[in-house]
Amino acid sequence: MSNRTVIPFGPQHPVLPEPIQLKLELQDETVVSAVPHIGYVHRGIEKAAERMEYTQNVFLVERVCGICSFIHALCYCQGIEQLQNIEAPPRAKYLRVIWSELHRLHSHHLWLGLFADAFGYESLFMQFWRNREMLMDIFDKTAGSRVIISTCAIGGTRRDISDAHLQEILDTLDEVNKQLDKSIPVILNDYSVRKRTVGIGKITREQALELGAAGPVLRANGVAQDMRQLGYAAYGELGFEPVTENDGDCYARAKVRARECYQSVDLVRKAIRQLPDGEILTKPKGRPKGRVISRVEQPRGELLYFLAADGTNRLDRLRIRTPTFANVPPLVAMLPGCELADVPVIVLSIDPCISCTER
Amino acid sequence: MINNVLSNLFSKPATRNFPAKTREIAENVRGSVEFNTENCVYCGACALKCPANAIEVDRPAKKVTFDLYKCVACACCAEACRKGCIQMAKQYAHPSYRKMDVVFQGAPLLTDENGET
Ligand code: SF4
Ligand code: SF4
Repeated sequence: MSNRTVIPFGPQHPVLPEPIQLKLELQDETVVSAVPHIGYVHRGIEKAAERMEYTQNVFLVERVCGICSFIHALCYCQGIEQLQNIEAPPRAKYLRVIWSELHRLHSHHLWLGLFADAFGYESLFMQFWRNREMLMDIFDKTAGSRVIISTCAIGGTRRDISDAHLQEILDTLDEVNKQLDKSIPVILNDYSVRKRTVGIGKITREQALELGAAGPVLRANGVAQDMRQLGYAAYGELGFEPVTENDGDCYARAKVRARECYQSVDLVRKAIRQLPDGEILTKPKGRPKGRVISRVEQPRGELLYFLAADGTNRLDRLRIRTPTFANVPPLVAMLPGCELADVPVIVLSIDPCISCTER
Repeated sequence: MINNVLSNLFSKPATRNFPAKTREIAENVRGSVEFNTENCVYCGACALKCPANAIEVDRPAKKVTFDLYKCVACACCAEACRKGCIQMAKQYAHPSYRKMDVVFQGAPLLTDENGET
């Protein structure tokens, strides 16, 4: 008689605050297969976007994801700008980079903390989240809100950052960098952490490419693909190079994100140094017409918006594909063969954001 | 790691002693919407721009209805109002027991003695 059991993992699970359910088929303690179920927090944002005016949608799409709200708005605004044939002024482009990178930085802090929590390292979780608080304060000061910052607008940005605040950002980044220097080595070098992550949840480069992995999951397999290479906003002028690792396991994914933290700090510093003076908003004229695909890099990977407009003040269709959606098939490929106790670590290693996936 | 442990052991708590000590509200915060309906001309520009449909302007009745719990504090209405009737107050919206309580009624019907507006 077979001693296989099926265990539902999620949608409510102590270690995973994201509402995904994985039906795990187990042979003793080893996972044989996993079947994902999503759809617990569907909000109908795509449909709502067809009903609202295209200018109001900026505030709607920000709410797809609470962690990288600015980057969603950026992706949408760049799409509309392409349809209306306008370009944001140079200063706005740099401000967009600054806010995007700060979002990436705080998202990676959040993830590093949750990852530590997944293998039971609660004090490290606290350390990362305490550092993250400094970044949230920057949003509060520069944008007037901590989470949904609403500073991106079609044609530029809604707010400028004053010189005093720029200096404050630089000072905070120095402190963040110092704290990262203390906490990152623990994630990367600690014996027990390595024991839980090295060689766990491994996929090959071919699998990652074939299954359409995105973001750090893909880059942990040695594929240097990052949407920031497209040079949108001001990334083209900042000499951006993607971070890659080669092992394709949980440790490599953690390492990619840890190194991206430092990279983001550098990018913000560089952007502040090169920040040009001038306007921050180009007034849009006319209404969007046509079809366009807009892509940006979110902390979790490539974010894709498809926009179709027919010249009225409402969009015909808005399609959002978030990186976690792309990373679910690789996740299902990572799980077979692992121990049940490693499942939380592996699931977290793709940095799941299920609420955005279901929109 | 030992350094970190020791410094955390002897440093102040990272948390704030709330409510004795509250968080400082940032300079240009988008806190909550405040209506100053004296100058309002009931043009409806704010209602048109609001992405959350939180404002209703009834022009004939000269009434502005604002639903605090729909508002997402985006400040679009404040930018849209040419009369400067709407400000973003430097405070967060207060909690309330019932959602009904916070439907804000703007300027009352302005009528003269004969009942004409
Ligand atoms: S508050 Fe301002 S925008 Fe709204 S109806 Fe009154 S005058 Fe018009
Ligand atoms: S702040 Fe934004 S959501 Fe709130 S009433 Fe004004 S426009 Fe509407």
